[in-house]
Amino acid sequence: MLSTLSTLLLILPLLAAGAIALAPERLSKWIATFATLGVFAVSLAFAWGFPGWTDGSIAPADAGIPIGLGIQLSLGADAVGVMLILLTTFLMPLAMIGSFTAVKERLREYYGWFMLLEAAMLGVFLAKDAIVFYTAYEFTLVPMYFLIAIYGGADRRPASIKFFLYTFFGSMLTLAGVIYIAAQNAMAAGEWTFDLARLAEFASSMSPERQFWVFILLMAGFAVKVPLFPWHTWLPLAHDQAPTAGSVILAGTLLKLGTYGVYRIALPSAPIGGVELNQLLAVLCILGIVVTALICWVQHDVKKLVAYSSVSHLGFCMLGLFSLNSIGATGSVMYMINHGLSTGALFLCIGMIYERYHTKDMDQLGGLFRRMPVWSFFMVFFTFASLGLPGLNGFIGEFLCLMGCFIAEPNSVAGYPGILGPWYAVVAGSGLVLAAMYLLIMLGKLVWGPLKEPHGAEPHGHGHGHGHDHADGLPTDLSAREIGILIPLAVVCLAIGLYPKPMLEAIAPSVEKTLAAYPKHVEKYVRDGSLVKPAESKDPTVALAQPADSIK
Amino acid sequence: MLELASISNLANLTPAVIGEAASAAIPAAVPSPEFAWAGLILLLPAISAVLCGVCAAMGVKNKLPGAITAVALLAAFATTLSLFLKMPQDAPRVIHLFDWVAFAWTGQGATWTSFLAPFSLYVDSLTLLWMLFVTGLGSLIAIYATEYMEADVGKGYARFFGSVSVFLFAMGSLVMGGNLILLYLGWEGVGLASYLLIGYFYSKPSAVAAAKKAFIMNRIGDLGLALGVFLIWMNYGTVEYDALFKALAAGGEGATSEWSKAAIPYCLMLGAFGKSAQIPLFVWLPDAMEGPTPVSALIHAATMVTAGIYLIARTFPLFALEPHALTVVAIVGCATALVAATIGMAQYDIKRVMAYSTVSQLGYMFLGLGVGTTFGAVYHVFTHAFFKALLFLCCGAIMHGMAGQLDLRKMSGLRNVKGFGVISWTFLIGCLCLAGFPFTAGFFSKDSIIAQAFASGNPTFTLLGWIALFTAFLTAYYTFRVWFRVCGGPTKYEPGDEMHGHGDDHGAHDHGAHDHGGHGHGGHGHGGHGHGGHGAHEWHPHGPRLAINGVLLLICAGAILAAVPSYLGEMQHQPNWVETMVSHSSAAGGIPSHDHAGGDHAAHHALSFTGIADVHAATSVVASAAGILGILVAVFFHLINRGAADRLRAALLSNGLTRWLPLALENKWKVDEIYHVVFRLPAWVLGHVLHAVDKQIIDGVVVNGTARLPAELGRLFQPLYNGALQGYAATMAGGIALIAAWVFWIWMQGG
Repeated sequence: MLSTLSTLLLILPLLAAGAIALAPERLSKWIATFATLGVFAVSLAFAWGFPGWTDGSIAPADAGIPIGLGIQLSLGADAVGVMLILLTTFLMPLAMIGSFTAVKERLREYYGWFMLLEAAMLGVFLAKDAIVFYTAYEFTLVPMYFLIAIYGGADRRPASIKFFLYTFFGSMLTLAGVIYIAAQNAMAAGEWTFDLARLAEFASSMSPERQFWVFILLMAGFAVKVPLFPWHTWLPLAHDQAPTAGSVILAGTLLKLGTYGVYRIALPSAPIGGVELNQLLAVLCILGIVVTALICWVQHDVKKLVAYSSVSHLGFCMLGLFSLNSIGATGSVMYMINHGLSTGALFLCIGMIYERYHTKDMDQLGGLFRRMPVWSFFMVFFTFASLGLPGLNGFIGEFLCLMGCFIAEPNSVAGYPGILGPWYAVVAGSGLVLAAMYLLIMLGKLVWGPLKEPHGAEPHGHGHGHGHDHADGLPTDLSAREIGILIPLAVVCLAIGLYPKPMLEAIAPSVEKTLAAYPKHVEKYVRDGSLVKPAESKDPTVALAQPADSIK
Repeated sequence: MLELASISNLANLTPAVIGEAASAAIPAAVPSPEFAWAGLILLLPAISAVLCGVCAAMGVKNKLPGAITAVALLAAFATTLSLFLKMPQDAPRVIHLFDWVAFAWTGQGATWTSFLAPFSLYVDSLTLLWMLFVTGLGSLIAIYATEYMEADVGKGYARFFGSVSVFLFAMGSLVMGGNLILLYLGWEGVGLASYLLIGYFYSKPSAVAAAKKAFIMNRIGDLGLALGVFLIWMNYGTVEYDALFKALAAGGEGATSEWSKAAIPYCLMLGAFGKSAQIPLFVWLPDAMEGPTPVSALIHAATMVTAGIYLIARTFPLFALEPHALTVVAIVGCATALVAATIGMAQYDIKRVMAYSTVSQLGYMFLGLGVGTTFGAVYHVFTHAFFKALLFLCCGAIMHGMAGQLDLRKMSGLRNVKGFGVISWTFLIGCLCLAGFPFTAGFFSKDSIIAQAFASGNPTFTLLGWIALFTAFLTAYYTFRVWFRVCGGPTKYEPGDEMHGHGDDHGAHDHGAHDHGGHGHGGHGHGGHGHGGHGAHEWHPHGPRLAINGVLLLICAGAILAAVPSYLGEMQHQPNWVETMVSHSSAAGGIPSHDHAGGDHAAHHALSFTGIADVHAATSVVASAAGILGILVAVFFHLINRGAADRLRAALLSNGLTRWLPLALENKWKVDEIYHVVFRLPAWVLGHVLHAVDKQIIDGVVVNGTARLPAELGRLFQPLYNGALQGYAATMAGGIALIAAWVFWIWMQGG
């Protein structure tokens, strides 16, 4: 039953893409809407029957279909994966319905690419096989490339190419890492397999030097995707140029492919590398938090501001994961979900403004509360969700990420051996203040203050000039359709904020499994310093090429 | 009660010793599901907030949101009152409502294996005391606001009352929450309400800026609080008060380290200083006066800003463990009291004077906590809530009737203006309390703080006591400067216009320039720019009606009656009611005893020049004298001889040596400007620099440069580059082949 549902999750969007290709163009948006709603329903059924909520196991457990070379077409996820699946399937219909007025030409391709994108994203979260994972992971680039390149803003060409190449280049290294592990495993075991669990089990028994380099390879792709500072520069550009729904999915789900990759593949496969590089990665996270927050402060373009804020926020998320304890990692997964919800919602809100005023420049817009109180309500709501107001969704994840980092200190006061500690958390915590700063500046400019509309916009839409024209059939304030998109998001944000317990309880066992190998390595690292003894040769290729039987 | 007695005997010892005894003395909480209805105190404002939101969404054009809020808050007050009457106060009660944040892990050798923060209430007498005045004043001020905000009916009315309801919910969670995470929820929730209400007149850039500043300054404090919570969990494995106090009583079992224990109070302190506007985070509170005056009275005077005192009182056992923490609290409080009072002396905007006086009085409360009298601090919170709310509501009523006039140079003798009688005389009562006039509530509460500063016998505290006495003199002076200028003297006034909007459809309405039904000032009913007093229409100030006057009288009665516990205490030799309340709570560790059997000779000598042996009596006399002297100075400069004040200022300004003094005071010691130059500007510049680096160097040189590298190499393979993506994809395929070859090579090596 569960395997049928998981297969259905992949097949349905593909079928919808086919249907869109064949059906008349005026039906495209409806096919996309109903297909994504259907996928959401299937994902709910999948989650309902999912047995791994309490023990962190991966389900369905069946081996899948072998397709040669040791590759198995097998699907399954742990609780974290299921949550990210739900996030994806929940955001997709909203993004589709949100596109009705924004996209007016080449509808068939637009909705078709989105269907393929959904299938690819779900493929990543459902993958139990490294090759399935990698294929789906890379395939997300293609639809997103076309969505940006065709439907994007003025600079869409360079933005889409940079997005494609940069992330592609990164994931090539990840692929190299995966193939290396698989090859080593094949040498040791005598048969090829790409089963993620078996690869991780094998890789975590490799020599420290190998784990170190493998971890770097695996991280390379994920770090670009997350994106981790300083590999983030494709993101503001891509967000800035992407159509609204593209930004929603990009921020909501695509970035989570990176964090999920770290969680699911990089950390469990090469724990020694994870421990060895922990400090460096944490420093990068913190730099990302602080530097991009300061950059947010000086943005004029509201979409770029939210894009940079994603980098800052994902710094918190990764810092939680890299704290290598249950509190931080649980918070990190919460953060993945909640960043998707609140940032996705913010991009939707910004898109609604862009459709009305054709600008995202905060110097040209201001005091919109007077004109659009309903929109303003949602904007303020999601902004506060994004800055981590307790009672809304963002808080718990952020708090636990920081707390995890804080308690992960070498003296192990709380009984957790850790490599980071209070000072990391204090510096990262300044991100809380900076987030309030740039987000409230954004609200102060866009929502509050004296009314400011772009040149030519008339108060009640007399219909000439650009800016506030009603040619799109959009009312001054939000339409029922737009309110209908935002309300489910707001309800979910509030519900998670008021009752995060079920999620936390489901996440905790899963992250514990992922991090199972860490406590002993961390302890050793704290005691001995480096785990990786200096290799005889500085050349990584030589270190990697050491025969497998030297592993102890 | 037994424990209480033993604590009392420990007074005048060092705070550390008191604290250890105190933490041992906090009784274990009794789970009390039968009091689950106490959750209504939080639920009612939450429902009211939702209903106000519904009203706003439906465009309700009457006073319904105000009525809903007032009824909900009155019901919450009634619930609090019945909880107070019904609940035995021998031990704290924990009322578990539902699980909120909760998860566990196996931990593999870790000391703590769960993180639990249920949505539960921790109700002891400290909670009840706080919630009584929060919900009581909250409902009265909501009633006041139904009239005060009536010009905004159908516009911001629902938004205003919705935010007030959110505030009451958050304040309730802060005070009643059974763990530090729930306190944090309330802590940031009141910050949100404060943000929304300070920025209520959203078309005014100054209001928007003030709202932003308040939230950001508070966030700095919130970070401190969060770090404090991390440290507490790290050391004690819990964030729930009950479990925390048990762990403290047991000596803090588990793996703990000295530095991390010692750092706890300093982190919490930062949070408290942010929320309660103390140095260095005090600058947001005066700006918060941009909000409508009922909000200033409720949030920025009576309730929210006392959350810092609540936090320290609640976690007092943690403060008592660290010897220097309370001293720091005392020094910061005393310094803030002095600095804010000096600024308050030189402001002309009466609301700003009151704002600085709030900062200053909050400083007194922290001084009280620091010198080891939680009772004095809490009692001052309690009396201050009434008289400062009263003072703000009087200021608001004056603004309301005088077209937004707040400048004390432009109003005089209002006591004789028709309709301003209630305002003037209740204002006087409030001023007497604030000035610490003998036998008013403010006198008793302030006195108990100053007396303890001397009684502690610690030379630092004695010095702080003298500063506090000097500040009391300044307080009396600036308070009566306002009253004599505005209500005393010959009757003379001009209407204000500074608070007006600029003719837009939703101007700033925090003033009286509207057509108040029944008063019929036809000349100034036109939207946001009723510049009364000019044009063809004659302008009259108009007094408030029943809702405002009634609330003023009720709160005035409260301000007077707040002294009753002290009278009963003095006359019947019973413990002061507030003291009893505090002594049954986690703040019990800071209650000084009444008898000075021994060990504090130094304290007695500190004030011995008065010739009175008892340090409390001596302080009372000196403090009364300071207050009365301040009032007399104000009488001279602001009632009898108003020209003298201006001449004095001119004289000070003309002398090169003293020139800085009036300038520094009037410019608020330039703290905002200093912060701007030291923190904000460098960060802003850094932001620009980083943005440029990000764009030009990280992206421009490194990323694009790397990306161009294969393109340059690719010129060698020109035919591949016929189309951008296809070409790159082909290169990638080549790359994959290379990597595969490399892996194969490794495999061969290994095999």
